Amino acid sequence: MTIPGPGAGDPARPPAIRRFLDGLYRGAGILAAACIAGLCLLISAQILLNAGTRLGLPLPPTIPSYADFAGYGLACATFLALPWTLRTGGHVRVGLVTQRLPARAAFVAELIALTLAATMVAYALTYTVLLAEESHRFGDTSPGIVPIPLWLPQSVMVLGLALLLVALIDSLVGTWRARAPVLARTAEE
Amino acid sequence: MSDPLIGLVLLLVLFAMLALGLWVALALAAVALVAMLAFSNAPAGLVMATTFWGHSHSWSLAALPLFILMGEILLRSRLSKDMFTGLAPWLGGLPGRLLHVNVLGCAIFAAVSGSSAATAATIGRMSVPELDARGYPQSLVIGTLAGSATLGLLIPPSIILIVYGVATEQSIARLFVAGILPGLMLVVLFALYVAVRAWLNPALIPAAPARLPMRDRLAASRALIPVALLILGVIGSIYTGLASPTDAAALGVVLSVILAFSTGGFSWALLGDALMSAARTSCMIALILLGAAFLSVAMGFTGLPRNLAAWIGAMGLSPYALLAVLTLFFIVLGCFLDGISVVVLTTSIILPMIQAVGIDPLWFGIYLVIVVEMSQITPPVGFNLFVIQGLTGLDILKIAKAAFPFFLLLLLGVVLITAFPGIVTSLPDAMG
Repeated sequence: MTIPGPGAGDPARPPAIRRFLDGLYRGAGILAAACIAGLCLLISAQILLNAGTRLGLPLPPTIPSYADFAGYGLACATFLALPWTLRTGGHVRVGLVTQRLPARAAFVAELIALTLAATMVAYALTYTVLLAEESHRFGDTSPGIVPIPLWLPQSVMVLGLALLLVALIDSLVGTWRARAPVLARTAEE
Repeated sequence: MSDPLIGLVLLLVLFAMLALGLWVALALAAVALVAMLAFSNAPAGLVMATTFWGHSHSWSLAALPLFILMGEILLRSRLSKDMFTGLAPWLGGLPGRLLHVNVLGCAIFAAVSGSSAATAATIGRMSVPELDARGYPQSLVIGTLAGSATLGLLIPPSIILIVYGVATEQSIARLFVAGILPGLMLVVLFALYVAVRAWLNPALIPAAPARLPMRDRLAASRALIPVALLILGVIGSIYTGLASPTDAAALGVVLSVILAFSTGGFSWALLGDALMSAARTSCMIALILLGAAFLSVAMGFTGLPRNLAAWIGAMGLSPYALLAVLTLFFIVLGCFLDGISVVVLTTSIILPMIQAVGIDPLWFGIYLVIVVEMSQITPPVGFNLFVIQGLTGLDILKIAKAAFPFFLLLLLGVVLITAFPGIVTSLPDAMG
């Protein structure tokens, strides 16, 4: 296999795989945003119920296990947004040194950083899969009124980390092909 | 290997990975992993997985995306445009005149947003062109903006105080309330500085605009009243214990959406933008918190912070001497790292030391935030400097020079809360 040099691949018409991956990251990001909207609505509904029962309306006083649901909504939002945040330069990194490196050295540093990151995430992914498997095997549930099987939200954590690994490998391949860092550098510090 | 040597090796590994451009959250987790694999017998992978899971779904952390979302919604609303027209008619008569719009505008926006960079961008976008057009001296326009925008970190709701509260298991409600008086104190210090500069050199400030009659002034600020009510509602419900910070945040989001739609210029598309932006920022911060949580746990296994604390305790250092050393350390660290990273590094390693010499962790949180505010306006790495550079196109060193007096004022703030800790603790104590 020959590796295409810089400029390979027409940026105006991205290949199907590029469109698919970008859609995947963005789709997960939209789901994350929906989780935040959902947890906001859930907590607001609970506040309204509280106010309603104080006024003497015949309403149930609490949404069962709403604090648990809000927590899992937050976890889902965090993990699902990981790949999109990475690709849009949202994760914080120190650019002070790498920005001052000559192009060749910056390219090598980016390759090392991406490889290290992918290794870390692969390691975390392995053990979160084990954790979710264990929760499933032992039938662990949340302690609240509504027993939520823990492997359900834990699978979302696994999915988010898996997509982050895909995004890191994608960026590694892209960097190698372009012979220069490809990730957006908007929020570096 | 001896403890100090292990600590030094781990610190070097961390700095090497950060310099290489590894993401902060992953660098923290990687150092934790190295520490556990090399210096403890605990099952590192499993501890990592349970820490990540356990710290990702807490109820109090749910306040984080919600307060971020509230700020994102309001910065897309008409509020930023109304801030100048609403404040300007009241401030024209003060020494320093419309420069106070920067100080007060930032303070008000800080009370609906938890971020210093967002405050600088939102207020600066409308105030810098207006003040430039009226002939205010550039260094003071930029300096007041850079300095006052750092209030976004301290005045509640504050993202960085949520991070500190979650990482140290302090009550976020008490931290928020503790930030109120120091925040107001800094507003007064900044305003006094502007007034003194104007009084020493009256030629610096353009002439006062014609005074509007009271009725016109009230009409101009009518748009600010709903925002004032929103601020009072959010902070008041937390202070009185009526709502937890997470509840108050959810309510704040709903009210902001209503406010943004009813004042016009807001749309569902903008709401979608705000949600996506909040998801991104909250994901970034939550990941750093997960990395830091794993680092704390790993440090617990190695026993380093405990030994470090015992070592510092044995030196018989006074709290003041320790604080002086730490302030210097944080200022240097803040030149290279962002505020949230400074806070999470501190909480994993330095907090046991703080408690060993008898410093109140609640007070220390506020102290830490003011020191981090200073780091927002120091080169080479300062978020506010970057934002203002993007806004004005000026050289970053020139902006840093204009902001330097405010760096000193923040340092004065640190000295004041150290000399009079009641500025921090009296309000939370009154909460009971």
